[in-house]
Amino acid sequence: MTILTTPIVETINLQKTYMMGEVPVKALRDIDFKLEKGDFLAILGPSGSGKSTLLNLIGALDKPTEGKVFIEGIDVSTLNDNQLADLRRSIGFVFQFFNLIPRLNARGNVELTMAISSLSKAERRRRAEELLETVGLKGRLNHKPAELSGGERQRVAIARALANNPRFLLMDEPTGNIDSKTASEIIELVKKLNKEKGVTIIVVTHDQKIAVEAKRTVLMIDGLIVEEKVN
Amino acid sequence: MKVNDVFSYAFSAIKLRKLRAGLTTLGVVIGIAAIVALLSITQGLQDTIAQQFQAGFATDTLIVFAGGGFGIGANAGLASESDFQLLVNHTQIIDEIEGVEMSAAVVQKLGYIKSDEKELMLTVVGVEFTKYKAIYSSTFVAESGEIPQNPENETVVIGKRVSDPYDEGTLYFDVDETVEIKWTRTTSISVAPYFISKNETYSGRVEAILKEIGGFGLGPSDSSVYIPISQAQVLFGTDECNSIIVKLEDDDAATIESVSEAIEKVFGDQVSVTSSTAVLDIISSIFSTVELFLAGIAAISLLVAGIGIMNIMIVSLMERTREIGILKALGMKSRTVLSIFLCEAVIVGLMGAAFGTATGWVLANVVARVFSGGGFRQAGNQRATAGGMTITPILTPSVFLGAFAFGILVSVIFAIYPAWRASKLKPVEALRYE
Repeated sequence: MTILTTPIVETINLQKTYMMGEVPVKALRDIDFKLEKGDFLAILGPSGSGKSTLLNLIGALDKPTEGKVFIEGIDVSTLNDNQLADLRRSIGFVFQFFNLIPRLNARGNVELTMAISSLSKAERRRRAEELLETVGLKGRLNHKPAELSGGERQRVAIARALANNPRFLLMDEPTGNIDSKTASEIIELVKKLNKEKGVTIIVVTHDQKIAVEAKRTVLMIDGLIVEEKVN
Repeated sequence: MKVNDVFSYAFSAIKLRKLRAGLTTLGVVIGIAAIVALLSITQGLQDTIAQQFQAGFATDTLIVFAGGGFGIGANAGLASESDFQLLVNHTQIIDEIEGVEMSAAVVQKLGYIKSDEKELMLTVVGVEFTKYKAIYSSTFVAESGEIPQNPENETVVIGKRVSDPYDEGTLYFDVDETVEIKWTRTTSISVAPYFISKNETYSGRVEAILKEIGGFGLGPSDSSVYIPISQAQVLFGTDECNSIIVKLEDDDAATIESVSEAIEKVFGDQVSVTSSTAVLDIISSIFSTVELFLAGIAAISLLVAGIGIMNIMIVSLMERTREIGILKALGMKSRTVLSIFLCEAVIVGLMGAAFGTATGWVLANVVARVFSGGGFRQAGNQRATAGGMTITPILTPSVFLGAFAFGILVSVIFAIYPAWRASKLKPVEALRYE
C-alpha cells in the first residue's frame, strides 16, 4: 500500500455533533482513516458509537460539523447541491431496511438508479437483468419488493447499488434485518463482489460473520476509532 | 434524469393512488367544466341574439319611440310624463328629414287570433305592408302565400309560429283561411278601478305565412299577426302608434347620428331614437359583464380544486418522505425531485382539463337544449311568448385553450409549494423518517 494513488475515501479530523433538543451530542469526535481501491472494510461497534453517522458522511448524505471527507481527492464540503447529487450517483448505498421503492418491481428498482443517471432504456434493461442475475435473482425480475423475501430484497438493493458502477459500496447493517441463513448468502455475495469484481466495500455491521470476511476491520466506540485490524 | 423518465415515474406514483388522484382530478374537472359550460353557453347565447338581432333589425334602421330618454321595446314611452303621442302620420314629418329613405309606423296590441276551435293569444301588429316589407326585406318575407300589396283591406299576415305553434307540421292557421282578430278595449271610467271592457273584432283572410325568423329582434316576429295599419287604427280606435321604423339611406355612423338628432329635434325631444348598433353594443356589454361574472364563479371552484391539490400533495409528500430520501441517496438532484412532483400536478391538471372541457361541452349542450325550444303556449290565459330561440353553445378555440391552460396552471401553481418542500428535504433526515 505504498503506491502513490489517491485513496478512494479519506477522512481528516471528522467530527459530527447533533442537537438532541438543547443538548449537543457528539456522534463523531475525530475520525481519520483511509480506504484504498479494492478494499473491504468492516466498521464494528455498539449501537450509538457513530458508525452510521460515519457512513452517511462518507456517502455524502450528510455534512460534517468539523473536518473533511475526500472522495478520490475531491473535498466533499466544497460541492454544491447538484454536485453532491452527482457524487452520490457514483456511490452504491445498501441500507439495513432495503429502502426499495415499493411500487416498482425488482428490475424497476435497479433501473431507477440508471434512469437517474440518464442511461438509455435498452441499456438500463440489459444491465438491470445482468445485475439481478449476478445477485442470483434471475427469476424474480418482475416481483415487487412486497413479493420478495428479506434476503431477496437485500439482493435487489445490492444490484441497485451496483447499477452505476460505483466507486465504492456503502452497506449499513446489510444483514441486520434478515435471517442468519440468508445473511450467510448475502455475505458470500458481498465477498464475491469484492474478490471477483474488485468492488471496494465499506460495511457497518454488528455481524461478526461479516467482520471475519472483511480485509480490514475498525472498531468504533463513542465516536472514535479505538481499534484497527487487518485480517 | 430524462424528461420522459420523470414523467413515467410521476405517472407511476399517481397510478398507485388511483382513488386519491381521481378525486383530486375531479376537483379540476368540475372547475374546468363549469368554466367551459358557462362560457360556451353565454357565447352561444350572445351570438344567437346578435345574429337574430341583426336579421330582425337591419343596421340601416332606427326605431323612434314616444318619450324622451333611452328606451327599447313597446313600453319605452310609457314612463314619459308628457302627454306627447307618437302618431301614425308622424311618418310624414320623419320622411322630410335628410338621410331618411322612408319610415313606417307600427301599432301593436295584445290580442287573439281565432278560427273555429283554435285560438292563440299574441301580439297584433298594424303595419303598412309595402313599407314594412321594404324595410325588413330579409325577414318580412312570405313562406307561403303572398304579402298583399293593394288593396290591403281584410288581409292578415301571420308569423311562422302562429301557423305552426309547436313546430310539428299541424297548421293552426293556413293561407286562405278566414280568421278573426280580437282585441279587448278597456276604458277606465270616472273612478278607478271601474273599467268598461269591449271586444273589438277584425275579420280577414290569411294572405301569407312568414318564413321563420327566429326569436329575437325588434323587427318582425314569428309569433305575431300583421294587419294593415289602417285597419289596426280602426280596430284599436287610435291614431297613436307604438313606434316608427326609419330606414336610412345608408348605415354610416354619421348618418345614424345626424338623423337621430334631427328626429329628436323635430319632435322637441319628446321621442327617443334607438339604433340597432347602439342596442347591440349594450347587449354585448351586458354579456361581457355576465360572462366575466360567471367565469369568476367558475374560477373560484377551480381555486378550491387548487387548494385540494395542494392539500393532497402535502399529505402525499409526508407519506413519501422516505421515498424522496431514497431518490436523493441514489443521486437524484433536487430539481428532478421538484419536477417529479410538478409533473404529477401537470398530469392531474391535464386529465382534469381534458375531462373538464369534455364534460363542460356536454353540459353546455344539455343546458342549451333545455333552455332552447318553442316559447309558444296554447291559447288561454298564457301569453304567447316571442317564439323559440335555439342556443347553440360555442366553444371558441381561445376558451378551449384558455380553460385547458388554466386547469394545468392552477394545478401546477398549487403544487409548487409542496414540490419545493419535497425537493428541499435533506437525504439523511428523509431516510430516517418513519
